[in-house]
Amino acid sequence: MKIAITSTAIAIILALAGSLPALAQQNSTSSITITMTGLNEISISLDKTQWPLGTVASNTQYETIPQIEWCTLTVQGTCNVNTFIVGDDAKWVSDPGAYKWTLSNDGTNGDHIYGLWFRISGDTTRGYVPITKTQGEFWPYSGGSSLAPGNTKQFGLRLLTPTYFYSGRQMATQITISAVAA
Amino acid sequence: MVARIRSAGAIAAFLVMFFPFLTLAEDVNFSVIPAEVHIDNLLPGESAEFELTIHNKDEIAHNFTITTFPPPEEERREGRAQFPSDSWISFSCPRIEIAGTSQANATVTVTIPQEQKWAGRDWEIWLGVTPESTDLLAVKLYVRLLVSTSGTMFNAGLVTGIAVAIVLLGYGSYHYFRRKTKPE
Repeated sequence: MKIAITSTAIAIILALAGSLPALAQQNSTSSITITMTGLNEISISLDKTQWPLGTVASNTQYETIPQIEWCTLTVQGTCNVNTFIVGDDAKWVSDPGAYKWTLSNDGTNGDHIYGLWFRISGDTTRGYVPITKTQGEFWPYSGGSSLAPGNTKQFGLRLLTPTYFYSGRQMATQITISAVAA
Repeated sequence: MVARIRSAGAIAAFLVMFFPFLTLAEDVNFSVIPAEVHIDNLLPGESAEFELTIHNKDEIAHNFTITTFPPPEEERREGRAQFPSDSWISFSCPRIEIAGTSQANATVTVTIPQEQKWAGRDWEIWLGVTPESTDLLAVKLYVRLLVSTSGTMFNAGLVTGIAVAIVLLGYGSYHYFRRKTKPE
């Protein structure tokens, strides 16, 4: 009996002596897996990036020409994408921190507040959509489908200038169109 | 003196907007590989790293910046929560200059703090790559980063406690049975 218990205790101790280092080793080299799905390449392109408006008047609406087929977005790469658009305040080029037009959150205008809109050719349900400082859908994939490689979408922009602003200042803004794997 | 302009159309507002260049420049043409990255079985306290390849397909050099972006819930993969902190993600070069028709790699490191509460989680965050540009329209490409931490975490204290308990149990049993079998 004594021999049996002693043997059991020794066996337990030996088992633990062997397993504890193994557990410790598992901690330092756990099996992290990094998967890059099919090494997909993501890419979109635009065929133009500038809108040469020149001088503008207050409280006036400007649209690209042609209205909704002004710029073409092309999906390149190898994966389907969901697309988004986001705008920003327009800042005085000479001193961006001193003066700006605030981008409205609904496309309307006000004093020193301007509106931006976009419209995609073929998007018959939404028409012109306000561009805001919160990233929103570009192509309405939630109501349709994502864009596949080779797909193109033409769109145009609309600018609504502030009801009043300081004249003689060159302003600049940026609209970012983004894509993520669908 | 600053003039205040009120009425629409009555007064011409001599303001130049959006860089009135006559040329319609084409956007920077670039791509990012991979489009989606899964990191699984990452334990709290551990790090994992991978590489993003940015391919500048233009003829001229461009500077690219890499940033993180927390996607809203409706854009995340099913079952994925918002990544707790973008400070857990670092880039070998958050701003990188790439020569024309060339590509470059940026190493992304994900480090999870060593706290039990971060075990067994599924998160998503996006990594945005964009070329520096002053044009009206810009393009940003996002890489989906899906991080899953392991549900079990090594607990040295627990293992040591179990080991000590087993040894003490064995030792106690040995003495108990020894006394019991001893003739009175």
